[in-house]
Amino acid sequence: MKHPNQATLALHAGGDLGVFARWRTERHLAKCADCREELAGFEAVREITPELREIPEIPWQRLSAEMRANIRLGLAAGECVRTGETPLREMRWFGGARAAVAFASMIALVATGLMLERPAPRHVPEDEGSVVETTADGIQMSEGGQAIGLLHSGARNVTYTVSAQGGMRARYVDPETGYVTINNVDVQ
Amino acid sequence: MCSNSVVRLAVLGLLAPGLLPAQDAPLPLGSVHINFPTDAPIAVMSSTTGASRTAARGAAMVVDLHMELTLRNISQSRIHGITLRVVSQEVALGGKASVSLPSLNVGPGEVFPLRIDQQLIRPTQIAGGPLVEVTLDGVLFQDLSFYGPDRLHSRRTMTAWEMEARRDREYFKRVLAQSGSAGLQKAVLASMAQRPRLDVRVIKHGPAVTSAALGAPEHTEQFAFLQFPDSPIQPIGGWAQVAGNQARAPEIEVRNRSDQAVKYVELGWLVKDTNGQEYMAASLPAAEPNLYLPAGKTARVVQDTQLTFSKGGKPVNVEGMVGFVSQVEFADGKVWVPNRQNLGMDVLPKVLAPSPEEQRLTEIYVRKGLQALVEELKKY
Repeated sequence: MKHPNQATLALHAGGDLGVFARWRTERHLAKCADCREELAGFEAVREITPELREIPEIPWQRLSAEMRANIRLGLAAGECVRTGETPLREMRWFGGARAAVAFASMIALVATGLMLERPAPRHVPEDEGSVVETTADGIQMSEGGQAIGLLHSGARNVTYTVSAQGGMRARYVDPETGYVTINNVDVQ
Repeated sequence: MCSNSVVRLAVLGLLAPGLLPAQDAPLPLGSVHINFPTDAPIAVMSSTTGASRTAARGAAMVVDLHMELTLRNISQSRIHGITLRVVSQEVALGGKASVSLPSLNVGPGEVFPLRIDQQLIRPTQIAGGPLVEVTLDGVLFQDLSFYGPDRLHSRRTMTAWEMEARRDREYFKRVLAQSGSAGLQKAVLASMAQRPRLDVRVIKHGPAVTSAALGAPEHTEQFAFLQFPDSPIQPIGGWAQVAGNQARAPEIEVRNRSDQAVKYVELGWLVKDTNGQEYMAASLPAAEPNLYLPAGKTARVVQDTQLTFSKGGKPVNVEGMVGFVSQVEFADGKVWVPNRQNLGMDVLPKVLAPSPEEQRLTEIYVRKGLQALVEELKKY
């Protein structure tokens, strides 16, 4: 059998339990003599508490003021004996800094991801349609801001031929096979 | 405890960019499909895609294809050219390309390598099937006969290259016969001379008017023409709308002065800058896919396009334009190209790039020396 703890019994004695907790406690008390006895103790204390106010020898107001003063004194003494600088995490601005670092990390993560996802070699205005062009490195085709490049690494003396129809050819002698190789791309 | 969480978050933020390139991945096995017809004159002996990679870019996948094929000539004729289509998707820009090997001389049963270095784009939404398909567009034989579906007009293109190859080999052989090795060396060195290069940007279906941001007013610039006496096509007149370093909507009227019908015309387009320097700007093919120009008749070569010229990142303003006929295909499939005498006219030797065959022969000279070039010329 699981007994209610003392706090529950004390609250029950004062009628401060919720509906469900009170119902559960009453069911337990009906079967448990030990708990009934303990509850009776709490009820007896509760009955004599109003009478304590009546005892003039106990200065309740003064006791309360002294306790508050002692607490303030303890806090002040702690400040006096503290050595070194204030811990970083106890500084007022630290909470804001933590939020700023976390936010900056998230921004960096998102920005880096976007850059790697869309590494357009060159900005192309969207209204230009399909564009093909020669660049210092090869041929580039682009459309709607997206671009791909056709590079010819390892080949030298690459000859580019442009067709006004929208095609472009890169011609070179393949350094490995020795054959003339012509790559052709077309925007059509 | 809170500071530990902040440190962990900061470390994650620093490491995350390093994790993202992991989207760049090797090409999966079986992702390239080589699809040659069963009756093709070539057979695939082996293929590798070793250094090929794929990379996600937004909603698209970029396929960086580096493929090496080993092909065998299983026909009874010598192969002089081959073109392959390389396609990742047919619809959007960047989905298809082609690679050609002109100036081949592969006998029956002989094996030759073909390397494909292309970058293609494919939407990630496309599910299933190979990432890239390699198909045969055409094979040109020594007798100028052709095999293949010819979707890219490879027959005409490779025939023109072959005509240029024969012309240039004959030229070098003639020089060798007349002037010896020293004369051949001189001719090869002249061929290797640097031509001024222009960066050209082509916008298909360019705007109706040139950008006002240029500041230069648009005007109609007339073409001047180099007339080749033996050309079956005679350019009569032409113009383009020019503003600063932009030229758009070129239009040239030509007359067929041969006695045969013509089905394709291509002109070369030179531009002159403000310093008088001339550059090869572009080729100007007839736009009509079904051009038919009977003997004695005229037609217009028109392109709805805009070209922008620059050099080293700086605009090159157009001060003059010159046109010349560079290729003609007759109705019977025969192809005309300018002869060496034509190509020696005016500024052409200084601005025209050498033909593919001339480029191959000069490369033999550079890599193996004069004697190797002489031996190569003797093979033909």
